[in-house]
Amino acid sequence: MAVQSDESTNLVGARVKRTEDGRLLTGRGQFVDDLVLPRMLEAAVLRSPHAHARIVGVDASAALAMEGVFGVLTGADIADEVEPQPVIYHVLPDQRATDTRAIATDRVRWVGQIVAAVVARDRYVAEDALAAIVVDYEPLPVVANLDAALAADAPRLYDDWPDNVVGNIEWSNGDADAAIAGADAVVARRMSVGRLLGCPLEPRGCVASWDPFTDDLDIWMSTQSPNLARDLLGETLRLPGHRIRVRVPDVGGGFGNKFDFYPEEIIASLLSKRCGRPVKLLEDRAESFVATGQSREVVIEATMAAKADGTIVALKAEVRTVCGGALGTVGVGPGWLSATMMTGVYKIPNVDVRLSPVLTNRAPMGSFRGWGQPEANFVNERLIELLAEELGIERNEMRRRNFPAPEEFPYETGVVFTYDSGQYGQCLDLCQDSVRESGWPQRLEAARAEGRSVGIGYGFHVEATAFGPSRILNLVGLNHSGFDEAVVRIDSTGRVTAFTGQVAMGQGIETALAQLTAQTMGVALQDVVVVSGDTATCPYTGYGTGASRGAAMGGASLMRATELLREKVKRIAAYQLEAAPEDLEIHNGRISVRGTPSIGVTLAEIGNAAYRRLSDFPADEDATLEERYVFDPENLAWSYGCTAALVEVDRRTGVTQVLDYVIAHDCGTVINPMIVDGQIHGGATQGIGEALYEELVYDDQGGLTTTSFADYTLPSACEVPRFTLHHMDTPAPHIPGGMKGMGEAGTIGGPAAIANAVDQALADIGVEVRAIPITPPRLLDMIETATREGGRS
Amino acid sequence: MKPAPFDFVAATSVAEAVALLGERDDARVIAGGQSLMQLLNFRTAQPGTLVDVNRIVGLDGVRRDGDFLAVGALTRHAALEAHPVAREQLPPLAEVIPYIGYAAVRHRGTIGGSFAYGAPYAELPLVAVTLGGEVIVEGAEGRRTIPIEEFFLGHLETAVGPQELVVEVRFRLPAAEAGFGFREIAPRRHDYAIASAAALVQLDSSGAVGSARIGVGSAHPTPIRVNTAEETLIGRRPDAVALAEAGQAAAAAIEPLGATEADRTYRRRVVAVMVQDALAQAIERSREAGS
Ligand SMILES: Cc1cc2nc3c(=O)[nH]c(=O)nc-3n(C[C@H](O)[C@H](O)[C@H](O)COP(=O)(O)OP(=O)(O)OC[C@H]3O[C@@H](n4cnc5c(N)ncnc54)[C@H](O)[C@@H]3O)c2cc1C
Repeated sequence: MAVQSDESTNLVGARVKRTEDGRLLTGRGQFVDDLVLPRMLEAAVLRSPHAHARIVGVDASAALAMEGVFGVLTGADIADEVEPQPVIYHVLPDQRATDTRAIATDRVRWVGQIVAAVVARDRYVAEDALAAIVVDYEPLPVVANLDAALAADAPRLYDDWPDNVVGNIEWSNGDADAAIAGADAVVARRMSVGRLLGCPLEPRGCVASWDPFTDDLDIWMSTQSPNLARDLLGETLRLPGHRIRVRVPDVGGGFGNKFDFYPEEIIASLLSKRCGRPVKLLEDRAESFVATGQSREVVIEATMAAKADGTIVALKAEVRTVCGGALGTVGVGPGWLSATMMTGVYKIPNVDVRLSPVLTNRAPMGSFRGWGQPEANFVNERLIELLAEELGIERNEMRRRNFPAPEEFPYETGVVFTYDSGQYGQCLDLCQDSVRESGWPQRLEAARAEGRSVGIGYGFHVEATAFGPSRILNLVGLNHSGFDEAVVRIDSTGRVTAFTGQVAMGQGIETALAQLTAQTMGVALQDVVVVSGDTATCPYTGYGTGASRGAAMGGASLMRATELLREKVKRIAAYQLEAAPEDLEIHNGRISVRGTPSIGVTLAEIGNAAYRRLSDFPADEDATLEERYVFDPENLAWSYGCTAALVEVDRRTGVTQVLDYVIAHDCGTVINPMIVDGQIHGGATQGIGEALYEELVYDDQGGLTTTSFADYTLPSACEVPRFTLHHMDTPAPHIPGGMKGMGEAGTIGGPAAIANAVDQALADIGVEVRAIPITPPRLLDMIETATREGGRS
Repeated sequence: MKPAPFDFVAATSVAEAVALLGERDDARVIAGGQSLMQLLNFRTAQPGTLVDVNRIVGLDGVRRDGDFLAVGALTRHAALEAHPVAREQLPPLAEVIPYIGYAAVRHRGTIGGSFAYGAPYAELPLVAVTLGGEVIVEGAEGRRTIPIEEFFLGHLETAVGPQELVVEVRFRLPAAEAGFGFREIAPRRHDYAIASAAALVQLDSSGAVGSARIGVGSAHPTPIRVNTAEETLIGRRPDAVALAEAGQAAAAAIEPLGATEADRTYRRRVVAVMVQDALAQAIERSREAGS
């Protein structure tokens, strides 16, 4: 036999080019809008222009009379037909319900809330008809922002609530007040994070087809969570699961937004049921600003205290998430994660954290990459620097003094979580070394000599990934699971098909999971295909493709299923070769006796025997080659990283520019470094956006003023520096394969690093950033105020 | 984001386009569509008929005409930027055009559309206001020439009548000894500016400012020439103090755009900075031109 290079080993860790890219980059992707079904109609929805109003009446008669219009749905039409939109997180013991249906029935509570829907020949006609629907609103007083919501005489969004507070929860460990009283240095700040929107290139959309004879609902959705969507469609539409099939076409980015479950999916289904024809309902870009889950906006009042030697002794925080007019699918989940991660990467013996989310007449909050973590990290990583400065300790030395040491893992934070593993000090070293090697200190000096304002900032973060242990998640209030099921099959030609519940949304999961499966089975990459995105044929993923779980959860379950199948293959080969299974090894799709490569059989031959020539097949094995595995982790896997930013501030205009950027990062076993790099680049770009560029701005009447990409300014290639990345790979001890997730990393560590850098750039006048985004007008105001007040005392 | 129904007619001559504008109720010209398409898709504009001028032969082109550079209305931004006559006769154009949107916008968008739309952020109208110029329009009564000083009437409002077509934009060519400067600030590189400034300065033999023309864009409802700022400079040595004063004068002269007080305050502040910097560049170049 000719000696052949082994293509089936060393796949994990290799910079394999993504197999999906050819298709996606040459325009051959099939996204939900590419889907055209016979007799399909198109729908559009009418959205409230008022932030808060009673619906007195809806007159759709003119719309219904228009040529090409097939039907109109109003709140009254659906009130008895559907359950309220689901909320899967109930993390507050006294959490109140907002119970709103897919179409508002009696009252609107945010600009953009759906009040009616039209189904028509095409989208043009549907939009013409929207213009003909007359809604009679009786405006109500608007709760425009957090202060308005908390005012003593604030109008209430829900008449049966005593106020606008969703609920409360508190965690405490030790005695924070006593520790603060006895500390050598204390910093207390009120900090805030602006309201953001995840902006995938492809907005949301679905095509629903309801068979009027069988009541089968076939729905194609641009979603990250097909199994969850199926369950929630069933609950909301009162349909049993077996009648619903969710399929996922190519997804043009998700960022968490498409994890959530939206009214449009219910509306398209009901419209299809009414007309007996498939219905497409897409969210256009303009709608997305009020229709896709918004995120982040929070005000955190926090106090951090330390001893003179830099040891942090206490943290207190009051987290107030600024929710919208109703709870979205994930409720106050992101706020819960902000609160529970307030301690960050530091050992803090005395902690007192409270969370009390508040409703306002803004659009509902949902999931977005980072999911509460950037908010906590921004505050935590700012406070530690302020405290270091107060104590006169170098800021990274301060960090080091408070990291749990590698041998202290698993490390219990004192607030809900246990970090599985980490070498934080080493990661910080890696980042600082890189900063030095890149010559930042010299660049800083040179710039200052020219009178330019340049600063270096750091942000260290942990990231909750591989979400998560189902029973624990249920205990803390998630009405859903966190396991992953995987199925692996070898066909009669010996090729491998890996079935996953994970969804491809441009992040490269097809390639990454194929690498892992191929290496585990001992076959070449091209001998594996990954099938995903269909609830009828794919396994169940407890949560979906979010919470940085694709590679860790999808990968671990697939790896275990593949190992089981590998054992079966070996048993069959052992039978055919008259050898012991434990003496066999598989490389390049060939099973041979270890040490005697000439004695072997190919996977193609095994496949043939398992499906077509059972005469070569052991009698005590079932025909076919397929295994299944369910992986439910015992804990989350905690990735971590250190971000350093070099920024320049123009004191005359308040403009901050990111000049250079370093991220050192540990996400356990890296399946494909190129994909990980890409994920970090994308996340870091969003982190820069969050720190400097992006903000949904509401006016004092609850109107959104940033309603297009002309004013919701995502950073573009021109605003983003070249990123320098460094990887560590400490395997997760409890995840088969050792992978930790890393999809959200870049969004978490960026804002604090940038804010810290801005502070340093303006240290001589004593500017201190307390809110992000650091927009030029805000920063210019701060610079002018600081200059007037004569610099740092 | 789908437009309301409209009729569409592609004109093949200026006469036909003008006739259509006169005949049809509620007709509107579409050129590059880079501003109009948004209005249509958001249904902010719901014209009855779109008169497409893209197929009119000869409506584009660049030539020198006496003291002016004459640019056909259908000339695309990118074509103007690359045009050899424009580059030779009026280098500021190629300097400023890269600030207009991004490449795709510049390849579709037209000069005529830019002036007819009258957006305050538009760079080329700012250049025309600063250098001087005129716009030629054609209507049922024939052609008329509108001096640039009378062209921009208000926010998105110009002297072009609803039944008139912009056929040519004419930029006055500056004296060889004059220096041109331009600055703008935008949230991101490709965005509409928050504030922009252009300056044309000529120094006298003593090094003092002999003449100065200063224009401000984006911050005021129209591109605007700020005589008060110019006057602070005339006859003075253009030192930092003088430039700062000119910047302050410009900031005081505008009625800043902006949805909130904070926006308006910010625009005033950065207008002052843009004016100073544009002046500094213009002065530097005027020195080079004079030496
Ligand atoms: C993303 C983006 C960024 C942009 N950034 C900038 C920028 O930074 N700076 C800038 O200056 N511009 C910018 N623009 C606008 C661009 O320059 C447009 O090209 C220009 O404003 C209009 O030209 P148009 O040919 O596209 O006109 P259209 O969009 O076709 O028309 C605009 C208006 O002018 C009228 N019109 C057009 N031609 C004529 C004519 N010959 N006679 C009479 N009326 C006419 C139309 O009826 C319409 O009312 C941007 C556009 C986009 C999409």
